[in-house]
Amino acid sequence: MKALSGIRIIDLTMGWAGPLACRHFADMGADVIKVESCERFDWWRSWEATPEWIRDDGAEKSNAFNTMNRNKRDVTLDLEHPDGRELLLQLIESANAVVENYSGGVLPKLGLGYEVLREVKPDIILLSMPAFGSTGPWAGFRAYGSTVEQSSGLPHLQGDQTMPPVMQQVAYGDAIGGLNGSAALLTALRHQSKTGEGQFVDLSQAEAMFPLGIQGILHTSVTGNNPERQGNLHPNAVPHNVYPCLGDDQWLLIQIFEESQWVSLCHIVSDELAGFGGKAERLDQVAALDAVIANWTRGQEAEALMLKLQQAGIPAAMCLSSKRLVENPHLNERGFWQWLDRAAVGHQPNPSAPYLVDGERVSIDAPAPTLGQHNSEVLKDLLGLDDDRLAYLASEGVIGDKPRMPGIGSVK
Amino acid sequence: MDQMALTGIRVVDLCGSIATGYCGKLFADYGAEVINLEPEAGFSTRLLAPQIPDHGSAMHAYLNTNKKSVLMAELDKVEIAALIGSAQLVLDSGDTVLSRHCTAVRTSVVWYGEGPYQDFTGTDSQCFALNGMLKNIGTVDGPPIIPTGYQAQIMGGLTAYIASLTQVMAQELNNSQGLTHVETSIFEAMMCFTEVGGVAAYNFNIEGSRMGINRFPPTYPLGVFPCKDGWLGVTALTPSQWRAFCTLLDLEELADVELFQTTVGRLEAVDIIEPMIKEKLLLHSAEDLFYRGQHARIPLARVPTMEALFHVDQFNARQAFTTAETGDYSLTVPSVPFRLFTTPPYFGGRVATLGENTGEYVT
Repeated sequence: MKALSGIRIIDLTMGWAGPLACRHFADMGADVIKVESCERFDWWRSWEATPEWIRDDGAEKSNAFNTMNRNKRDVTLDLEHPDGRELLLQLIESANAVVENYSGGVLPKLGLGYEVLREVKPDIILLSMPAFGSTGPWAGFRAYGSTVEQSSGLPHLQGDQTMPPVMQQVAYGDAIGGLNGSAALLTALRHQSKTGEGQFVDLSQAEAMFPLGIQGILHTSVTGNNPERQGNLHPNAVPHNVYPCLGDDQWLLIQIFEESQWVSLCHIVSDELAGFGGKAERLDQVAALDAVIANWTRGQEAEALMLKLQQAGIPAAMCLSSKRLVENPHLNERGFWQWLDRAAVGHQPNPSAPYLVDGERVSIDAPAPTLGQHNSEVLKDLLGLDDDRLAYLASEGVIGDKPRMPGIGSVK
Repeated sequence: MDQMALTGIRVVDLCGSIATGYCGKLFADYGAEVINLEPEAGFSTRLLAPQIPDHGSAMHAYLNTNKKSVLMAELDKVEIAALIGSAQLVLDSGDTVLSRHCTAVRTSVVWYGEGPYQDFTGTDSQCFALNGMLKNIGTVDGPPIIPTGYQAQIMGGLTAYIASLTQVMAQELNNSQGLTHVETSIFEAMMCFTEVGGVAAYNFNIEGSRMGINRFPPTYPLGVFPCKDGWLGVTALTPSQWRAFCTLLDLEELADVELFQTTVGRLEAVDIIEPMIKEKLLLHSAEDLFYRGQHARIPLARVPTMEALFHVDQFNARQAFTTAETGDYSLTVPSVPFRLFTTPPYFGGRVATLGENTGEYVT
């Protein structure tokens, strides 16, 4: 039995953050039923759907969708059709929680606001995770994970004073919002299990970014001033930079926080380094110091240097490319990638939950579902519909297992 | 407050790292009893910058609102064992012998965990290097730009909270019994950002390359751009957003160009499009474009400095910032990022002095 067996979540989310929030529950044994529709399918299947894409089974070939939705069941319900809306409410009647990340106001417009859900299930939890939260003047504003990172001020903490504010990723806010969504829902579920009480849970993905920039927020809180951007310099670590290595675009991160690490580095690199002196002197000559180290790293392989320096207790790491993540020896020895066969894409690596329980990986029992894969299973077994009813719903377009145009996505 | 979401859960932190501190903070702010069992010198977070003159570490204050501090040296062995044994959750860094007294859920937060990197001296930046993010940040020629702060440890702490509360609930739901050991790897927690890209790169044999500051495949425009009076965050992903963005900037001539209808097409043509976009953006204030853009359903953002962040109307309206009270000093800190409406968290709170609560646990 898995940790969260017996809990049922209705997952109305799309994209990255919401499906990631729900993925934790699916991994841990909850019954997570993902609800899409044939026209409004999860936009991580594609935000640029075309008839050709549909014919080519493109909806089932998205790495992004398939990575976020394993261990879930998938049903299609057209929520703009009265029968689809009614069936969703019946599903909710059997659930502990509903999770949504539509733009502000979409759920109420469908007649599926929190008060409506409570009428059919008084102890239901609704986790809403719009970009800026469900209250305040920006409640209806739109955003992606990139927008969320930008709005948090975090880019003003990266890079140096000559650069524009520096973003870290194409959608940094999404994964952070997703994990905070898991945390929020768990917290509410714990209260529900103790008291039988449901509630509305509001997550602002922009606010979820603040702990990631906490050192800048606290600096300003204490001093009243913006922190100065220092590029790759660090106030307490010299040297502290990324150095070129053998090969095209190969790099090694080296960070010296303690004098013992500095002594070890001097021993490994050359006696020339020792002449740079103590931390303050090194900081004064940091460009010259970096040049000496870069000259040393340039002709050597990043991975071999990482292992050599780490063996000497020196914090160092090669800069991996995305392509090498699946073959990373540390992740593989720990069984991080679990391989499963999946319709339309074959044998695929799936990233595990980032923790071990009693020394074991949490198993991934099923790959991401295909669109509407569990329509029959869920609607018959859970809601008691018969074959005739399913055929009628299919004929009305309420359910189905292929996308239909238009199917472009929405934002938070 | 009488009944909070996590009332009845006792957490003992034996480690006091940033990661366990953040994990414990989420428990404490939602009503769990969180006890820092500290050595005589206190947890190492007390030494972190920035320091508040005469009031200690601001970082320690942020991480430790609504917790208790107990000095280990003032409890005898039996009292220590009883305290740890009474906890539903014990937090450590994987190497403490005291955890043997744990009887319920023990969570160890480690940098890498068992494997080839197990003896590495871990840092936040290393996790960005090894998860594939660092290589993509910065100018084309490099070097890559190192992300600042404690981001990996915060992610490790958040992940530890999720994993730990799951196991505490499993015991309360009778889905699990007895001692459960959770090991959270900070490195693996950071894989959440790059796991999708890693699978895609594997499937399509894409090596990828750094495309420049604020430029990330597969889309354009996405980034932070200068305006007349500040910085605007732009993401125009779908065809309708692209068209609306062109209209906003009086660049209708770009709106219907066939090549520009897809994100990849626009990225290919960035050298043509970007100078035109930049020129137009400089004619307007970021504030004006942000509001007009959002009303046109374009996901635009103001990009506030840290000083400006405290004055953003949306964040103030939501009480996104609160105070940690450390002695007689009120430190402005972020509130808990998620809100339960019926059982809300503490907004801010007191920070216990070293050993302040020791007496409560001496029998």
